[in-house]
Amino acid sequence: MFSWIDVLPGGRGTVFLLLSAVLVLAGLVGASLWMVGDTSSRTAELGRAQRVLDSASQVLGEIRDAETGQRGYLLTLDPAYLDPYRGAATALNVRLDALEASVLPVDRPLVSKVRELAKSKTVELQLTIDLAAGGRTSEARAIVQAGRGKSIMDEIRAALLPLTDRARGRVSANLEATRSNVTFLAIATGLGAVVIVFVAGISLILSVRQIRGLEAAQAEIRSLNEGLEQRVLDRTSALTQANDEIQRFAYIVSHDLRSPLVNVMGFTSEIEAAVAPIEEHFAAPDDGKKLEGAKTALADLPDSLKFIRQATGRMDRLINAILKLAREGRRELVPEPVKLDTLLEGVIGAVQHQVAEAGAEIKLSPTYLDIVSDRIALEQVFGNLVDNAVKYLANGRPGRISLTGRRRFGKVEITVEDNGRGIAPQDLERVFELFRRAGVQDKPGEGIGLAHTRALVRRLGGNITLTSDLGAGTRFIVELPNVLEGSGVG
Amino acid sequence: MSDQELGMPVEIVMVEDDEGHAQLIERNIRRAGVNNKLTAFTNGTSALSYLLGPDGQGTVHARRSLLILLDLNLPDMSGVDILTKVKANTHIKRSPVVVLTTTDDQTEIQRCYDLGANVYITKPVNYENFANAIRQLGLFLSVIQVPKNE
Repeated sequence: MFSWIDVLPGGRGTVFLLLSAVLVLAGLVGASLWMVGDTSSRTAELGRAQRVLDSASQVLGEIRDAETGQRGYLLTLDPAYLDPYRGAATALNVRLDALEASVLPVDRPLVSKVRELAKSKTVELQLTIDLAAGGRTSEARAIVQAGRGKSIMDEIRAALLPLTDRARGRVSANLEATRSNVTFLAIATGLGAVVIVFVAGISLILSVRQIRGLEAAQAEIRSLNEGLEQRVLDRTSALTQANDEIQRFAYIVSHDLRSPLVNVMGFTSEIEAAVAPIEEHFAAPDDGKKLEGAKTALADLPDSLKFIRQATGRMDRLINAILKLAREGRRELVPEPVKLDTLLEGVIGAVQHQVAEAGAEIKLSPTYLDIVSDRIALEQVFGNLVDNAVKYLANGRPGRISLTGRRRFGKVEITVEDNGRGIAPQDLERVFELFRRAGVQDKPGEGIGLAHTRALVRRLGGNITLTSDLGAGTRFIVELPNVLEGSGVG
Repeated sequence: MSDQELGMPVEIVMVEDDEGHAQLIERNIRRAGVNNKLTAFTNGTSALSYLLGPDGQGTVHARRSLLILLDLNLPDMSGVDILTKVKANTHIKRSPVVVLTTTDDQTEIQRCYDLGANVYITKPVNYENFANAIRQLGLFLSVIQVPKNE
């Protein structure tokens, strides 16, 4: 399932992403702090430049005010005009001091020059006012008309001009810088916001991921705990069953081997017993009664020998069968990918001749199943089941054998079904036992096939079960793991 | 066992898959002087179809006397199945059943008695003992009274 938390790379990648985002954020904060500091010093600089402009214009203003007061007095001789004159003359020095304090050191000589010019100006003003106050009004006016005051005024303006120009330049430069600082801060704040959202998003994703991981782990532990008891029960019952089967096997083997042994010993004794009457006959051949006894004994001899031979032959077959089972049990399984359909087709091909001869039909519904298992063991298992199905078809109806397969509960389940003679309910377990067969004994066999088949299926990690209706048919269900354990595949 | 005394001859039915065993049992029974008719079967299916008759009800043996010698290990079914069916049948349930087998498993022996077996004999591997046991069984058979079936 795709989900938004899967967008991120896992583990290390995400941590790296998170760290980079935090570094970018730290950089943005540092740059913003520096910008704020810069802006604040620029603002102070701006204020200083502004003060230079203000002071310069105030200096000019005071000189103009003093001049206005002087002109008014010279025209009217009204002493009321002297008040602004005196106020301006006094304030002028304060303004000049302020100017000197606010200008850059570079501009100090200019301020000194202005101060001097302003002094000559006040000297000129004071002179004219003094002349007028002394009644020499025309003399004073003549000085004014000479233009000396005006030229000083122009000089003051000229001296102030570079100073104010420089100040204006500083004002506009600092304004410009402040403006760009503000723009930068706005951008940095915006970027910061984006990064914060990004970091918060990653953190949220990481938390969600961790919580989900924890939840999954908890769920797994819970299901493991729940499954553990069941698994112990399953294993125990499997072991108990295996143990019962081993006991049953030992019992069957000992019984089946003892049975022919009784024959060998019994008929050997019979032959031994037959020797006596024959010897007696040869010792005194004319007795008719002894001849009869010897004849009877001789007549029984071939029978006894036949039974001894049969018994030893049977013992040999049983021992061979046990050896074969033991060898099969030791053969190393070689897991490989197996296409079930191909394998089952091969199994069917091997019995096609018998099937046709019996007028029967065998059909495989494609399973499309692939498993990893031991091919030879699988061939033997299904070969045995199909052989049995063909061998024990019911008389009087056309045989139908079908093979089907499906996946079920994570395993593969293959069913071999026939409409043959079937197996009685009390024999359902017995048919799997070694040397045991069920039903009418009209076919040759040792009773080994199904015992072998079940042992093989168990070795393949699977199970075989059987349902049957006597007289109607039998269904063997073979359950196998998708991948044979210990195969290292998948 | 006297046929005349019982009015009807007692038939011995032997169910034994091993023909050698069957032969040895028969010889030793004969040696004990038992000359009753003996019918041998080597598998459970044919033995059952004989015992229960063509109708499967055992009526074929009604009012006759049977004695059954039974081996438990048969190729096609367990002798216990035969014992169960015999003892559940109205007509042949009174027939004495002698279980004669190699099994000396105690639970199996108890089970057979519970199901109505009359005698349980384990076949000895030693032939002398085996022959003796069978001869004694023959002597035993010659003195016991076998009831008539209904």
